[in-house]
Amino acid sequence: MNFLNRAFKNVTRKFSKTILLTLTFFLIGNLVIVGLGISKASENAKVLTRKKMRAVVTYQLDYDEIYEYAMSLTDEDELSQFYENYPRINLSNVAELLNDERVKTANSIYNTLSYGGNIDYVHLGNRAEESSGTGESCMMDENGNEYCETYRSPQFFLKGNMFPSMIEFEDDEYNIVKGRFYTQEEINEGNFVCLVSEALANQNNLSVGDSINLLASDYGTSYLEQIGASEEDYKNDYEIIGIFSHNKPITPDSSNYDWISPYENLDNMILMPSTTIYLSSLTIQQKEFDYYASLEDMHDTGYYSNPENRPSRDNMFKNMYIDNAVLLLSDPLDVDKFVEDYSESLPQFTMLDANNDEFNRLAKPLDTLSMYANFIVRLVVINAIVIITLVTALTLKNREYEIGVLLSVGASKFKIISQFFVELALVAILGFSLAVGSGSLIAKRIGYTVLEYQISESDVQDDGGKYYYGYSIWDEDYTNDLTIDDLISEYEVSVSAAIILEIYILGLGIVFVSVIIPSFMIMRYNPKKILMNQN
Amino acid sequence: MSEILKLENINYSYIDGGYQRVILKDLSYTFEEGKFYTILGPSGSGKTTLLSIIAGLDSANSGNIYFKGESLDKIGLYKYRRNDISIVFQQYNLINYLTAVENVLLAMSETDNELPKDQKAVAYNLLERFGIVKTKADRMINQLSGGEQQRVAIARSLASNVNLIFADEPTGNLDTATEKEIIAIFKELAHEYGKTIIVVTHSDAVSEMSDQRLILKDGALFEDKQ
Ligand SMILES: Nc1ncnc2c1ncn2[C@@H]1O[C@H](COP(=O)(O)OP(=O)(O)OP(=O)(O)O)[C@@H](O)[C@H]1O
Ligand SMILES: [Mg+2]
Repeated sequence: MNFLNRAFKNVTRKFSKTILLTLTFFLIGNLVIVGLGISKASENAKVLTRKKMRAVVTYQLDYDEIYEYAMSLTDEDELSQFYENYPRINLSNVAELLNDERVKTANSIYNTLSYGGNIDYVHLGNRAEESSGTGESCMMDENGNEYCETYRSPQFFLKGNMFPSMIEFEDDEYNIVKGRFYTQEEINEGNFVCLVSEALANQNNLSVGDSINLLASDYGTSYLEQIGASEEDYKNDYEIIGIFSHNKPITPDSSNYDWISPYENLDNMILMPSTTIYLSSLTIQQKEFDYYASLEDMHDTGYYSNPENRPSRDNMFKNMYIDNAVLLLSDPLDVDKFVEDYSESLPQFTMLDANNDEFNRLAKPLDTLSMYANFIVRLVVINAIVIITLVTALTLKNREYEIGVLLSVGASKFKIISQFFVELALVAILGFSLAVGSGSLIAKRIGYTVLEYQISESDVQDDGGKYYYGYSIWDEDYTNDLTIDDLISEYEVSVSAAIILEIYILGLGIVFVSVIIPSFMIMRYNPKKILMNQN
Repeated sequence: MSEILKLENINYSYIDGGYQRVILKDLSYTFEEGKFYTILGPSGSGKTTLLSIIAGLDSANSGNIYFKGESLDKIGLYKYRRNDISIVFQQYNLINYLTAVENVLLAMSETDNELPKDQKAVAYNLLERFGIVKTKADRMINQLSGGEQQRVAIARSLASNVNLIFADEPTGNLDTATEKEIIAIFKELAHEYGKTIIVVTHSDAVSEMSDQRLILKDGALFEDKQ
């Protein structure tokens, strides 16, 4: 008749007490399950939605900080000095962030338009194409001389990264079909290598190893003449090292289809290192600089009189203006922690943006719901502890003789306390088990009603998140568009095995805390009392 | 006969309204094995107090108690209660959500003493020896009469295989016929089985049947010449 056995006998034979306590635990269990169910559903919806979002963190200038600092400068000279050495994103800092194992890759994009070359672009046959092309427009100057300028429309989009991979490739938006991506060494050297789309390759019979010739910029003929340059100064050969596919085809039902220019079609995007893009027009830029440097009146600005400002290979990193790097992390759930980890150690005037403002705004009703639900759980648990403590302490009075008898046969007080704990635990498990069924039903019913109420109370429905203006190749937005419906669709109130486990642990916790005070009473019990109270 | 329990200068007092009330004063006595003792004394003389001290339920303010030559302090009170002694109370001896046989098994599960393998069979046999047949042994104890309950308590006191049994007015709630029966059992335990029985009682009928009557007076024990 050990203490476990005694506990079991007590529970099965003291029937009315067991029923009452089971009922108590059943009610507590229902409330706890409803609370936990709703709070877990909210948290899960957030996590699942977060998981669907791209894990992108933007490393960028902190314009608020820059503004504040500039405002604090009272000295004019200091201020102009500050603007001259305007803060910038340092690629070595990005490289450091890339070393973090949570980071997959980064996009630090530098791009330009190409106005043609020795290949034909992929045609859509839409209205934008009809009105674009190459031609000549002639005008009269004030002396009555006609002069003509050739005009061209941009055909290709040259997109460069500072890092030897791109978010789009990591996320399978683009895929290498043949060949490879460019390497860090090729980026450092500014090698004239490129990747073309499968469609462009097919159209022009291109394969890896071929070369293409492209204009990397556009200058009017008369301007070229003026500065003593020619088209050759920004016309280059690029070796194709890879062919890629992408999953953003343009179809007639794409938004704004008629007015998509050739270069806006990803088929006409050509990928190469950022440095290559810069070097592609280095010669013309140098000629431009030399021309202005030779003009007397330009010397006033001082810029052109300083040979250090002359564009060159050596200062290309300084001259390429890159204002952000978008980091792709492996796990969307790491984003907040990642930002937190680095926010302290970042250089001045730079910041990491988790891109989750919209997410947080939309998740607000869920947060509120989860907060209330957790609050209820806490309240119920505290109440439960008080009630069970009182009940146990009161029944202890009736069990004084029993305690005396147990002590008289040499049972330790610890065993007696253990028995009481097990008795309560058995009843708690019974009550909570019964509550699992009913609690999950109630949680489901209440869960959706309160969420609907929360959403109607908040402003998240007023605008459906970001408006979609069509695809923009210039200002790439790596975050997904989110609506409250995305979150709601992930909100599912169900009582999972984890919750069931949690309520059992919670139940045992309640029992444990509830026997603390009765335990003290038992510890203080003087066994002599059983003899004194007999008469 | 060899000694089993030796009391040496036991003192017990308590503070009541600022005054120290002395109950036991330099009490010394030696109990021998296989004897049936009764302790008599006026109400309030401290009989129950003495019993609770020698049964390891309370501690004296000073003095020593030796069980078979070893001091209780050294044995430890829990161990002493578990392995060396049994106590029979006036009432409420039994746990009310257990059957009679389960109450007997309770003492067997707590003791460290060596017991026969088939404890349940032993428990039933013990009960049967005291007139509790199997059908009654399986009853909840509130379905037994006061005398039957007391016999269950005695059966339990033997179950853990101890040599020293204390009882505080074990027949206080019983009619005279039942009282006689119970006392006969005690006597048999002492004489046939070599147990030492120490019973506190008010009853002359009980004390007359004992081997040694002891009177508790002025905080000390005196042997009553019968
Ligand atoms: N620790 C204590 N604190 C206060 N009073 C005590 C304490 N221990 C004993 N007493 C008192 O001492 C007296 C002796 O008590 P005890 O129960 O030992 O007497 P008794 O001889 O058993 O009496 P009775 O024959 O009525 O059962 C009683 O008045 C009791 O209330
Ligand atoms: Mg008494």
